[in-house]
Amino acid sequence: MVTTLLSLEGVGKTFPSGIVALRDVRLDVRPGSVHGLVGANGAGKSTMIKVIAGAHAPTAGTMRWKGEEARWRNPGAARNAGIATIMQHVPLAPALTVLENVFLGSPGPWRLQRGRRAELDRLLDRVGYAIDPDAEVADLAIGERQMVAILQALATGAELVVMDEPTASLADAERQVVFDVVRRLSAQGTAFLYVSHFLDEVLDLTDQVTVLRDGTVVEDGATAAYDEDRLVQAIVGRDLLAAERRAPTPVETGRPPLLTVRGLDSPAGVHEVSFEVRPGEVVGLAGLLGSGRSEILHAVYGADPRARGEVLVDGRRVRRGPRAAVAAGMALVPEDRNAQGLVGAFPIWKNISLPDLCSLASGRALPKEGAERRRAVRAIEDLGIVCPGPDAAVTELSGGNAQKVVFGKWLYGGARVFLLDEPTAGVDVGAKADILDLIRGFTAESGAVLIVSSEFEELLAVATRVLVIREGRVVAERAAHETSEEELLMLANGFDGGGAPDAD
Amino acid sequence: MPTETRHRSLTLVATRSRLAAAFRPGNAGVVYALVLIVIVLTALSAQMGRPSYLSATNITNILDQSSLVAILAVFTTVVLISGNFDLSIASVAAFSAATALSLVSSLGLPLAMAIALGAGLVCGVVNGVIVQLVGINAFIVTLGTMTAVRGLVLIVTNGRTITAKDPDAQRSLISLQAGYWTLSHLLAIIGVLALVAGAVVLIRRRDRRAGIVAVAVGVVLIALDPVFGYEVRLSKPTYYLIVIAAVTWAVLRHTVIGRRLYAVGSNAEAARLSGINVNRYKIGAFVLNGLGSGFVGVLFAAKLLAINPTGLQGTELTVLAAAILGGTSLFGGIGSVLKSVVGALILFTLDNGFNVLNLGANYQGVIVGTVLIVAAAIYTIAGRQRQARGGRRSAARATPGPKKQEALR
Repeated sequence: MVTTLLSLEGVGKTFPSGIVALRDVRLDVRPGSVHGLVGANGAGKSTMIKVIAGAHAPTAGTMRWKGEEARWRNPGAARNAGIATIMQHVPLAPALTVLENVFLGSPGPWRLQRGRRAELDRLLDRVGYAIDPDAEVADLAIGERQMVAILQALATGAELVVMDEPTASLADAERQVVFDVVRRLSAQGTAFLYVSHFLDEVLDLTDQVTVLRDGTVVEDGATAAYDEDRLVQAIVGRDLLAAERRAPTPVETGRPPLLTVRGLDSPAGVHEVSFEVRPGEVVGLAGLLGSGRSEILHAVYGADPRARGEVLVDGRRVRRGPRAAVAAGMALVPEDRNAQGLVGAFPIWKNISLPDLCSLASGRALPKEGAERRRAVRAIEDLGIVCPGPDAAVTELSGGNAQKVVFGKWLYGGARVFLLDEPTAGVDVGAKADILDLIRGFTAESGAVLIVSSEFEELLAVATRVLVIREGRVVAERAAHETSEEELLMLANGFDGGGAPDAD
Repeated sequence: MPTETRHRSLTLVATRSRLAAAFRPGNAGVVYALVLIVIVLTALSAQMGRPSYLSATNITNILDQSSLVAILAVFTTVVLISGNFDLSIASVAAFSAATALSLVSSLGLPLAMAIALGAGLVCGVVNGVIVQLVGINAFIVTLGTMTAVRGLVLIVTNGRTITAKDPDAQRSLISLQAGYWTLSHLLAIIGVLALVAGAVVLIRRRDRRAGIVAVAVGVVLIALDPVFGYEVRLSKPTYYLIVIAAVTWAVLRHTVIGRRLYAVGSNAEAARLSGINVNRYKIGAFVLNGLGSGFVGVLFAAKLLAINPTGLQGTELTVLAAAILGGTSLFGGIGSVLKSVVGALILFTLDNGFNVLNLGANYQGVIVGTVLIVAAAIYTIAGRQRQARGGRRSAARATPGPKKQEALR
């Protein structure tokens, strides 16, 4: 009788370039278990998944699949053996229907074979999920796409499903659907290897957990034996929550507001938004996915050309448009740092100097590369960016370090109003604490911060005040020390605070 | 100007430290390819008993023949760097040529040329505005303007070849592009430049060794000048090309405008959120390209003193081939105008080589096409290897633990 479905013994992976990504890794996944895999960015999770999925060949150790030694020649071999991998960015064909996508990998000459529809129905029944088989994938919400990817994995007859950050871009309700499906299928005997940054999910969903750090397994055991603090400590190797939960510095309420927003309105989903942020204040925007919180930031920054309304910095009206916003001292750290924050073809130093290039140029026309590099070196030291040097390509950096480069763009150019959109998304726990400290640093120099985060706990840890956003409107305002995660969640969902004292 | 000299000295230091990188095959491959092709052609022509391939006359000819396409390649590279695409250049050049030829007799050259350049500029504005402000893919828009502007050429020429018959007009057109300028004492000129550069470095105390080397090289070159006394005789369009390529290169490499253009082409959204007016740069690239095409059109008209309705047709593809040979990315953000010029030189060296060796022109298409694909393959593979090397370097040099940001507390 097979007791372990997949086992890795002493697996190592050294890339031809000399990088050691994995050292002496062991892992045992039992049939029907949900096995969590956690670790900081760059700890080797992705490499490990790729080894299991057959995308990388291990350079040391053995991998056993159902007790027999397995060496995948390519990802197809792993899939045929019964390992399906769902990557973070779901590779579906958007122009095809759900039905066609689910059976994309199956053989046969015809596009739609008889019996497929019935097969999909059986699958849906097994999963306990309903979806229109003829809907085009391009029209689906991101959570539904995730489900299609899971169905696709099951259609290949997978006994082990590897999921890489499946809930990273999902709203709460969608997340719950994925959890239900995972629980239901694991009860039927399908094993899951579940990789996630969200430790609460891992604690909630998995029954075994393996912690990776610096390419090797540091802890491995039943999830029941862990709580959040212990997991965090295992991941980073130091105690961070203390720093994260430190009380914010009090704000002088008498000072005039640094940022004033009046009657902001946009067809992108912002309605009559008005608020003020004083110097030294961190104001959190709490809202669910799709509530308009990012849209508000973009409208304030002028990046949304259709937005109407008044934005004042230091009492002076700012013309619409990012150029005027930058000139007025505003800085935007966008949600998607690779698509919106960094220029991939540029090394670190050119990225950091980009918004403030004119003041680093002689005659505002000829950039002084020496000054630019010095600024980049300073940013690398100040922010603790782990990199070979200012000439490193930003595409080589891990998520947390890349995010620090985005922050570095705005630190030295006189920006005073920081608009931060999910600044810690996809960032490991250690870098997250650094970034939260950095945000507190802005206010210590009497800057103003407007921060959006889907992790309300994080908002409460860093913000002085929280505005709750729902359907593009500010529906409530709370002082951070007078509210709780539960109350914010209730307000964001449209309930009136669950018995907590109302603001007015 | 003090700012300029300071900038120059900084550049020299940077040049020295990155000289090795600049000569790596991954970066300068297109130059090596040109050298290799020239060596092979020289050896072949020597062996076949033909006149020396590397003769001054032949080099002058190749440069002259490639100058128009190379000028177009410079501006096309700018558009490609900005992340766009322009297929309409040849049609625009033909339109400008037709405009200049039909007006030169009545209005005189300066006015006719101004109108022809204006026509090119307007075409560029139309391209840029439709692509950026309406938001249609550049390939589609310029495919449309390519066809439409070619239609305008047909209308202007009424489907016939038009010529400048007026002798005065002919003379002024000829003076624009025909003829050669001789640059004597080339060694002395380079020597003086090296001397000045070295002196600047020494005065500004940037890098003593580089400064001394530059000064020494300058002195040696000036001393050798009376012995060798090199003379360079190049056609006027070649000089136009040299000036245009040098100025464009300097702007792209050393100015805020150039840096922002690369940023816009590499990641328009990140550039926009960094406070850069993306539309201004992208439309600007189109306008410059239209203006450059207009200029080339006028030169073309001056060369032939005539334009037929299908003149220059297909040139846009040669120009794109030159830019691709030079390693310009079709997705924006990567490219160098100097390498595109070398790409154009490769295409015309091959062309010229076939003529000198008297090989069948039938084989030319196959060879040029193969060269293009091989070049693209080399760039792709070199890019991948560089990534792997970069990864190894970062692993070796990565600082061990993250430092905390005391400075910000």
